[in-house]
Amino acid sequence: MRFTLNIWRQNGPDEKGRFVTYEAHDVSSGMSFLEMLDSVNQGLIAKGEEPVAFEQDCREGICGSCSLVINGIPHGPDRGITSCQLYMRRFSDGAVITIEPWRARAFPIIKDLVVDRRALDRIMQAGGYISVHTGGAVDGNVLLISKDQAETAMDAASCIGCGACVAACKNASAMLFVAAKVSHLALLPQGKPERTRRVKTMLEAMDREGFGSCGNQNECEAVCPKRISVRFIARFNREYLRAGIVESGLPAEPESPHAEST
Amino acid sequence: MALSGLLLVSYVGFHMLGNLQVFEGAHALNGYAAFLRDMPILLWTARIGLLSLAVLHIVLAIRLTLRNRRARPVAYAVREYRQASFASRTMAASGLVLLLFIIFHLLHLTAGVIDPSFADRLDAEGYRDVYGEIVHAFQNPFIAALYLAGQLGLGLHLSHAVTSSLQTLGLEHAAFNRFFKTAGPTVALVVVLGNVAIILAVFLRIVRG
Repeated sequence: MRFTLNIWRQNGPDEKGRFVTYEAHDVSSGMSFLEMLDSVNQGLIAKGEEPVAFEQDCREGICGSCSLVINGIPHGPDRGITSCQLYMRRFSDGAVITIEPWRARAFPIIKDLVVDRRALDRIMQAGGYISVHTGGAVDGNVLLISKDQAETAMDAASCIGCGACVAACKNASAMLFVAAKVSHLALLPQGKPERTRRVKTMLEAMDREGFGSCGNQNECEAVCPKRISVRFIARFNREYLRAGIVESGLPAEPESPHAEST
Repeated sequence: MALSGLLLVSYVGFHMLGNLQVFEGAHALNGYAAFLRDMPILLWTARIGLLSLAVLHIVLAIRLTLRNRRARPVAYAVREYRQASFASRTMAASGLVLLLFIIFHLLHLTAGVIDPSFADRLDAEGYRDVYGEIVHAFQNPFIAALYLAGQLGLGLHLSHAVTSSLQTLGLEHAAFNRFFKTAGPTVALVVVLGNVAIILAVFLRIVRG
């Protein structure tokens, strides 16, 4: 198979980027999208040109590193997978494929298709943690969690933090990411101590990082490689309302146990 | 946005229901109009309330839109939507159509600036002749077309707005999700059908003076 690739090239965060067209020859239909890019890069290196920078790690859809907008859709045309799990047989021979990085103010481009997603880490630092006491391990089955509760928490916890939700959102909002993290922790007893503060601090962190707001278009849900439902955004909104009511009973300036790390 | 929007939607619903009395004839509609105007305190409270809700809704919309534009300074070269509805992608446009239509509508039928011929006309019972005014207005094909266009904007806006507001308020439950999802299109359809029925009934001379 052969393809024409329009790839976004940008030398650094402050450089001006542009699309460069490459021809991919002798592509096997069994190649993954990233393997196809590898072979294009091999060709570039052989010619003495700078290879296309893209992020990747596990190549089995669980690390959340790969971050390509393929023909206008984050992670490409298939649902419920990451870019690395996309295979070239999905495209017709001779197709023109446009490859862009995640585009958001909160995700500045480092180089070519690699973006800086530390904004998501900083949101996690603001509240995506639980308090665990050191000491002996807790006995099994001390904390009883119903099957439904555990399943729902796991659905939310399956977020791999790839940022496709941000990339797909018209407003570059990280709402689905934040909602998944808040929901997963709020559903489990271990997450209860910080429950009320977490939802506010994480939302404030999201605003601070320059993400947009949610318009309920549900594009995030459609591109999420883990198929996380926008129902968690509604749950997040409930958590936020609850926090507003419960908070009045809390001290005004809580001392953050993690202040030194933020 | 969600709260101000939902309050405005509930007004739009009652407005449509009230107007449907045009099908009961001049006596019912003019009597209803007089009944509303008989309570000046309530009338002006409602008017000021609606106006401030509308202003709040628009100010919030502009502020959010500006912030959201800043969130993506460089646009995608290729963009394909997977499930965002047409209505959800045109909220700003349909909102603007709606705003222009409401201004026209207020100048036309409330203030009587655009067509002053009926501003002070009374019917046989001494009520302000709202019925005659509506019949006169919608027999004009241009006015009827303009109102139909306004209804298109309204329907488009509401079909995303109501469902989106419920989601923003955190209303989500496995048993009710289908209801919440269809709430927007249903409300939009009912309101628009009711209003369009009035316009077309007059225009097609089913309801006449």
